[in-house]
Amino acid sequence: MRTFLHASLALGLSAMPAAAAELTVMTAGDQNMVDYINEYLGPLFEEQNPGHKVRAVGTGPGDAGSQKIVERFDAQAQAKSETWDTDVAVVHEKFVGPLVENSYLDAYRDRISSGKLVTRSNADMALGTNVKGYVMPMFNSQTALAYNPALLPNPPKSYEELAAWVKENPKQFGYNGIKGGASGVSFVMGWIYAFGEGDANKLMNGPFEEAETQKWSAAFDKLAEFTTNATLTPGNAGTLDLLSRGEIAIGPVWVDMFYSWQASGQLPPEFKLVLPAPGMPGQPMHYVIPEKAPNKELAEKFVELATSPKVQAEGIVKRFNWYPGIDAQHVQAELDEETWNKLFTDVTPEDLASYGKPFPITPFNNAILEAYERHVTN
Amino acid sequence: MTNDTPNRILGLLLVLPALAVIVLLFVVPLASSVVGAFRVNGGFGFGNFIKSYELYTSDIIFTVVIVSLSTLLIGIFSIAIGGYLVLGENPRAVAILRWLYRWPLFIPFIVVGQVLRTFLAKNGLMNNILIEVGLITPLQATSFLDWRGIVIAFVWKQTPFVALLVSGAMAALDRSTIEAARNLGASRLRILIEIVVPQVATTLMVGLVLSFVTMMSVLSVPLMINAQSPTMITADIAFRINAYGDYGVANALGLISLVASGCVGWFYLRQTLRERA
Amino acid sequence: MTTIAASRPAFSLDLWWIPRSIALGLVAFIIFGPLTNLFLWAVTERWYFPHALPLEYGFSYWGRVFSPRGTAMESLTNSILVAFLTVALAMALAVPAGYALARLRLPLRALIMLTFLIPQAFPNLPVYVNIARLFYQFGLNGTVAGVVLVHVTHGLVYAVWIATAAFASIDRELEEAARSIGASPLRTFRDVTLPLAAPGLLASAIFVFLESLDEFTGSYFVGAPDVNTMPLLLYTASAGGNYQIASITAVLLLLPSVGFMLVIERFLKSDVLSKVGH
Repeated sequence: MRTFLHASLALGLSAMPAAAAELTVMTAGDQNMVDYINEYLGPLFEEQNPGHKVRAVGTGPGDAGSQKIVERFDAQAQAKSETWDTDVAVVHEKFVGPLVENSYLDAYRDRISSGKLVTRSNADMALGTNVKGYVMPMFNSQTALAYNPALLPNPPKSYEELAAWVKENPKQFGYNGIKGGASGVSFVMGWIYAFGEGDANKLMNGPFEEAETQKWSAAFDKLAEFTTNATLTPGNAGTLDLLSRGEIAIGPVWVDMFYSWQASGQLPPEFKLVLPAPGMPGQPMHYVIPEKAPNKELAEKFVELATSPKVQAEGIVKRFNWYPGIDAQHVQAELDEETWNKLFTDVTPEDLASYGKPFPITPFNNAILEAYERHVTN
Repeated sequence: MTNDTPNRILGLLLVLPALAVIVLLFVVPLASSVVGAFRVNGGFGFGNFIKSYELYTSDIIFTVVIVSLSTLLIGIFSIAIGGYLVLGENPRAVAILRWLYRWPLFIPFIVVGQVLRTFLAKNGLMNNILIEVGLITPLQATSFLDWRGIVIAFVWKQTPFVALLVSGAMAALDRSTIEAARNLGASRLRILIEIVVPQVATTLMVGLVLSFVTMMSVLSVPLMINAQSPTMITADIAFRINAYGDYGVANALGLISLVASGCVGWFYLRQTLRERA
Repeated sequence: MTTIAASRPAFSLDLWWIPRSIALGLVAFIIFGPLTNLFLWAVTERWYFPHALPLEYGFSYWGRVFSPRGTAMESLTNSILVAFLTVALAMALAVPAGYALARLRLPLRALIMLTFLIPQAFPNLPVYVNIARLFYQFGLNGTVAGVVLVHVTHGLVYAVWIATAAFASIDRELEEAARSIGASPLRTFRDVTLPLAAPGLLASAIFVFLESLDEFTGSYFVGAPDVNTMPLLLYTASAGGNYQIASITAVLLLLPSVGFMLVIERFLKSDVLSKVGH
């Protein structure tokens, strides 16, 4: 009835915005991100802040989901809206830079107590843009190769070995190109780190130099040949889907997605992960608060709670097997040995330290993608 | 025609509200996209179109071919379904078909993508059923997750739409010519092709044009089914925006897609105009 | 009929049923094969290769969709409400427009028809920022009215094009006959033209309804977070590969679609959708 009344009022073009005594959280990412906020963080926050409500809106997985949040902010900025309709947003690393550069965001990190618990550099720099103060990492994610031990008992441990193995076992490796989601993109970035003639560290840390982009030809030729022996999969979920059907034996996936597919019974429990040398990229998901958020103080409280050691331990590590956003030692202290070690069943902390890489900075990132389009798909 | 002018004004008045909604709420916002397609580094030019041409020519051709092929198949299947519904002699079979064919209409495109991905895969439900029944051996199982998957998805989803329109039009035909032809011994296939289809051609064309246009702008099906390259224009648009934040090339591609759809629409309208004249 | 059939030898009847059943069986497989997949995933707990069928069935994901904090019911109600309002508004706009386009002399008729096609023909992804901006300026964001208007722009092409075809197919002589016995133009339209065009109009109503029910991007930009619709839930789950949640949501969306279709058929009583476009 309320909706109906609302509708008829609204249809009369009186168009009143719905009463917003609620904290609106927009989140990119998979269904489990929406569920995490709706089912775990939301109730916890409401318990601590009686009278307030949290509602989560999922904008879709992958870059497309974050892009939709960016566009929403763009639209409100261009419409010169006084207050925006989002209190907290969760976006991929890549989109934080543009948001900060457009001055859409509030620098809140120093105002919340958990702000000091993050020292990792990817909370300060996002693909070459200084975002210090504007973001708090929700969790860190990593890409790795998922494999089916029944088909492949001894997986390749490096890109070098993988390339050789694929030559002997055509179509057994699957990845989703670069248009179907970031796990394929990440695989390609790792390939350039491994086989590009330039300096991989420069790609990750900058500065951008045009000359550097000329050093990838051989690597891309090799990748084009490699791809003819690979199976192309439809999207991040597509790789997992084909893995689960035994159609491919190994492929790049997001570690968090891998675990959630196992948890929802779509992937056999025996499947494993390996992080190949010299490394594959990972990225954090960040909490951001728009400058014009309607309930800024509440929003800060929300992020403070979400990045507190207890919630990071209980929610991020224990529930989802994700790598925590804040520094590990604060989280580890909240957990028993066994839970903590479960995080590193397949990928050891040493692997992660040496082979977990960031993505290239934005201009290199774009240059690599476009070079891939010209070399491999054309 | 003395009442021509008031007639025109009345006509415009009747069209105006609908037209205003489209122009105000879509064409105006679209205008900045169209302008954006020509904007290059602060100035104006064809840079975005040149880039589209360099990178995505094969995708553009692929899209038009795939969508045309799908449209053709949709046309054939919907005539077959409509024809059987109107000419079929066994009422029970007609009733079963009538009940059967509509279901895909109610499944959103994104679900069509998801459902067919798990159905058409090499070890998907379809091959599993066929193997279980003994029609094929596991070695013969192949994956349809390429251009064929897109065509299957489009035809599966859109055929009921056109068939619904076409069968309605066929049911409304004057049955006396059909009966007369029957009595002269014409086969049902001949009656369908020579008598029934020409009379429902307009409806068929409206359905097919609308299907063509709809398929041109579907994103979820190519994203979820076709991993190969070339892919469809919509997937490239999504990629330009999500990966590069590049609205220029995205808008240029959108404009190319609009022109392709517009040509089909224009072709149809010219046909009907000629008929009316 | 029955006497003839009975007098024939029984095997000739059976023979006809062989190709018929094969053909119908094939159609059924093509239609219901993929749908079976949908229904199976809706009640699956665990399912992976090499198992042809789910390993474990259950309803735990239904629990998640309908969890007390979830928005499934609210979204479904919103979706249905929006779809009905969209149909009402689209038809109110399309009936006069279709009549004018079919019957009256209009300048630039083809151009007007093409204009209605544009919202379907231009891939929407790059346009929505602009649309969202416009709606923010009008203060329509987060309102049911805003969502309805966005859906109407997409549904109008079906409504107008099919309505035009429906009106064009009506025999002018019937209208003229009514006029000649003294009926006013409005009355002629109400009592003669409209009933004759009704099947086509109702068919287009079904398509507008379905279009509205499936629309995602516009609903996100204009509706969320205040007006959530079902496809918003569906999109994240489906694109992210959470088959269970996506399938359950899709099954839920089937209810209003099929329901609406049945109501329309009921309402038409006799042969549905006859006379569309002719």
